[in-house]
Amino acid sequence: MEVIQQLIGRLHPIVVHLPIGFIITALLLQWIDRKENKQEEVIAQVFLWGFIAATIACISGYLLYIGEGYSFDTVKIHLWVGIATALFSGLMYLRVKENSKVEFLQRIPKIILSFSLLFLISMTGHLGGSITHGSDYLLEPLPTSIKIALGFKVNSYEMPKLEEASWEESNFYNQVIQPILNNKCLSCHSPNKSKGDLQLNDAEGILKGGENGDVIIPKDAKNSPLYARLILPQDHEDHMPPKEKTQLSKEEIEVIKAWIETGSSLDKNIGELELKKHLFTSFFRKENTSEYPDVKVEAIPEDTIKAIRKHGFHIEPISESNNLIRVSCINMPSFSDDDIKLLNSVKQQIVYLDLGSTEVTDAIFEHIATFPHLTTLNLSHTNITGKNIEKLAPLEHLRTLNLTHSKFNGEHLSNITSFKHLKNLFLFNSLVKQPESKNEDLPNGLNIDYGNYHLPKIATDTIVF
Amino acid sequence: MNSLDRLIKEKINRDIQAKTRRHFIKECVAGMGGLALGSMFMGCNSFLGDSDNGKIALTERDINPLASMPPPFPAKVKSVIYLHMAGAPSQLEMFDYKPTLHKLDGQATPQSLLEGKKFAFIRGTPKLLGPQAEFKRHGESGNWVSNFLPHFSKVVDEVAFLKAVNTDQFNHGPAQLFMHTGGPRLGRPSIGSWVTYGLGSENQNLPGFVVLTSGGKTPDAGKSVWGSGFLPSVYQGVQCRSIGDPVLYIEDPKGISRNLKKSTIDAINKINKAEFNEYADPEILARINQYEMAYRMQTAVPEVMNINNEPEYIREMYGVEPGKESFANNCLLARKLVEDGVRFVQLFDWGWDSHGTGHDTSIDLGLRNKCTEIDRPISALLLDLKQRGLLEETLVVWGGEFGRTPMLENREGQKMAYLGRDHHGDAFTMWMAGGGIKKGASWGVTDEIGFSALEGQVSVHDVHATILHLLGFNHEQFTYEFQGRPFRLTDVEGHVIHEILA
Repeated sequence: MEVIQQLIGRLHPIVVHLPIGFIITALLLQWIDRKENKQEEVIAQVFLWGFIAATIACISGYLLYIGEGYSFDTVKIHLWVGIATALFSGLMYLRVKENSKVEFLQRIPKIILSFSLLFLISMTGHLGGSITHGSDYLLEPLPTSIKIALGFKVNSYEMPKLEEASWEESNFYNQVIQPILNNKCLSCHSPNKSKGDLQLNDAEGILKGGENGDVIIPKDAKNSPLYARLILPQDHEDHMPPKEKTQLSKEEIEVIKAWIETGSSLDKNIGELELKKHLFTSFFRKENTSEYPDVKVEAIPEDTIKAIRKHGFHIEPISESNNLIRVSCINMPSFSDDDIKLLNSVKQQIVYLDLGSTEVTDAIFEHIATFPHLTTLNLSHTNITGKNIEKLAPLEHLRTLNLTHSKFNGEHLSNITSFKHLKNLFLFNSLVKQPESKNEDLPNGLNIDYGNYHLPKIATDTIVF
Repeated sequence: MNSLDRLIKEKINRDIQAKTRRHFIKECVAGMGGLALGSMFMGCNSFLGDSDNGKIALTERDINPLASMPPPFPAKVKSVIYLHMAGAPSQLEMFDYKPTLHKLDGQATPQSLLEGKKFAFIRGTPKLLGPQAEFKRHGESGNWVSNFLPHFSKVVDEVAFLKAVNTDQFNHGPAQLFMHTGGPRLGRPSIGSWVTYGLGSENQNLPGFVVLTSGGKTPDAGKSVWGSGFLPSVYQGVQCRSIGDPVLYIEDPKGISRNLKKSTIDAINKINKAEFNEYADPEILARINQYEMAYRMQTAVPEVMNINNEPEYIREMYGVEPGKESFANNCLLARKLVEDGVRFVQLFDWGWDSHGTGHDTSIDLGLRNKCTEIDRPISALLLDLKQRGLLEETLVVWGGEFGRTPMLENREGQKMAYLGRDHHGDAFTMWMAGGGIKKGASWGVTDEIGFSALEGQVSVHDVHATILHLLGFNHEQFTYEFQGRPFRLTDVEGHVIHEILA
């Protein structure tokens, strides 16, 4: 019996479309027929179907509510509005039919009934959708900024974040475990929707367990469903989260295991539990460690990339999901100053430019200065002398400049050392002489590598033991 | 995919294998008509994707399998130089200083250490053998380096040590395969193949994956350590020789001039192009491309493989021996190759199997000579990459296939003429240097005699995961579909070793 009940219940999401269709059809017909009033027979018939279909939908909906562990609070408005919709379509049938037995109905203007019904059916549909897909489903695709502008509360859980400096002082449960549960479990196990009668939104719910009993067996992760179900094969019907939901990462599963095995403490911090750091490294807040600027630029059309490649440039995004690009002339030794114009359309995107071993001259600087995000510039093995190199000064992302094996000479060096953001300057085998003493007035963090390293001969070089 | 789906797929595969040409003709009469119809509709390109002025749109990879591709994540390095000391160098004479072992020299190994352990040659109860080198802390990092490596001790601040690498293989062949392909058996692609498959090659005149060997022998595991396994064979390592022709048969045969060669290739490609226009098979384009690349390589490879045009002071720094096959020459070549945009350079140096069976394999004499052979070249390589600004975009990895025991080898339970150590994979030392690596770091601690890891044990898979991470891959997502399942370099294991990353 329970099976049939559940089966009918699960038909609810399909059945509901029938009354929606009938009622909307009837309302539209009513609109078309508003002047002539010739189609009343048909319209009444459609409202009757709508009423019947809506009643079936109500019954199946009720069975679904009983069978699937929704709390009454979640479904109550949907339930009442649904019943009201069924009632109203029945009333509409009687009203249009001009049934004399319910005379009071005839006194209500049709238009009021029609609009009420339209409102009710829309509400019911929307509320039903919110229950199955979550209340933020409809507007979720909107960019966060628009959502905030429209005044929606953006309901997203923070991923666990620990600071590398203070991870040992962080509370294990509050700062690691609960955020993981929030992100990966709450869509089904919360006061809104407590499948298996389990709520994982706070400590109380976790300790209370679900319909199958406790989810945590103290210090025994393997027998605690909270961990054991995570490591079942994904095809296993007891595996959690269900196959189609976002899965926990390996690291998240590992810390849940560690948490249970150390006694699932609610107040201890990680240091007290003497856990190893490597368990937590993946939760450390990461700074932008990429050397490239954190800027948003437009993607370059595939055609443009192809066209530039045809000239011999090696051009490639820095990663699959990043629009910034690296450009190199490794296969284009004939590159000369004029060719730089071929890159005009991708100026914004270039962060890495390798013009090493090409015919480039000092006239190039004026063009390169218009690549705002340039981070690494390689001019090694060229005839660059450094004239006009000061034009690169405004490039605030320029970090690395390679002038090895170029004709760069010392008189322009002071122009470079005034670049505020430059970090690495390579001058090996250029015409600059390495100063005797360390250059003191370099800007913060600039490292000049003059190269010319030697490994002096030592006695053991030639000894054979 | 659940197991039922997999079974069904397997069955379909089996059925397909059982079909013969006869079946095809008998059963596919209607199908053939369909195929013919399909080709008549070619102009619509209904199943070939976008069309470009009526031509078939192909990805660059269809035409050139080595076309470069962006990594999934921003990479720290674009090239790798992997220095493999084949035979397994002794960490206890080079980097892992164990003063206690010195005190225990000559004492019998406690039984508790030997229980459940397998050794390649040690039998019975061996004696402990103290370090045969003198150790000192070096550089600002204060990391230990022995007097076997006097030059390297000066550049020690550039590298990050892994002091407790673990492998479960204790024979050279399987251990080398494991170290380079992620599995101890034959058939899986090497790291270099994975990397060139994933990233391609920037220099279109050179192979993406070059292998150089020295020490008089190639690795025990054979060419499979740079093989492409189940990846397309174009991604396997190209072994270059440092004496004679760098690649066999790279020079035109006697009596064939460069021009004649060019016109031969042009003629072949013309026919191939006509073939392509008729059948539109991308394999034909790939072949055309291979012919052209081979022709370009004929000039580019001898040029990059020539160390004689390097200035004298560079050759001196590396300690090269022109005209010989030497590790020093290979190190200089590795730098030149990386400078020219080669993605993965793999060096193997044979002669590190210090069992103590003879002078050359003795731990106090032969090993010291081997150390002298690599000391200058590896130090020079790091410095030379650094002064060219290449160290920041290159990853240098050094290691063997396993380490060596703290015990004196007693082959067949007998005392041997020279001092030696047996194979030992529980805890050994590797190091990395270059882009994204925390300079001067050291991760992993071994026990007082260097037998097992106390902290920071990392596996071979972890090392692979870290190399891929620096190249911009998530090792768990970098897969290749083979035999019905996606394969990874790191199989089902591996963690990135964040402790040695900057």
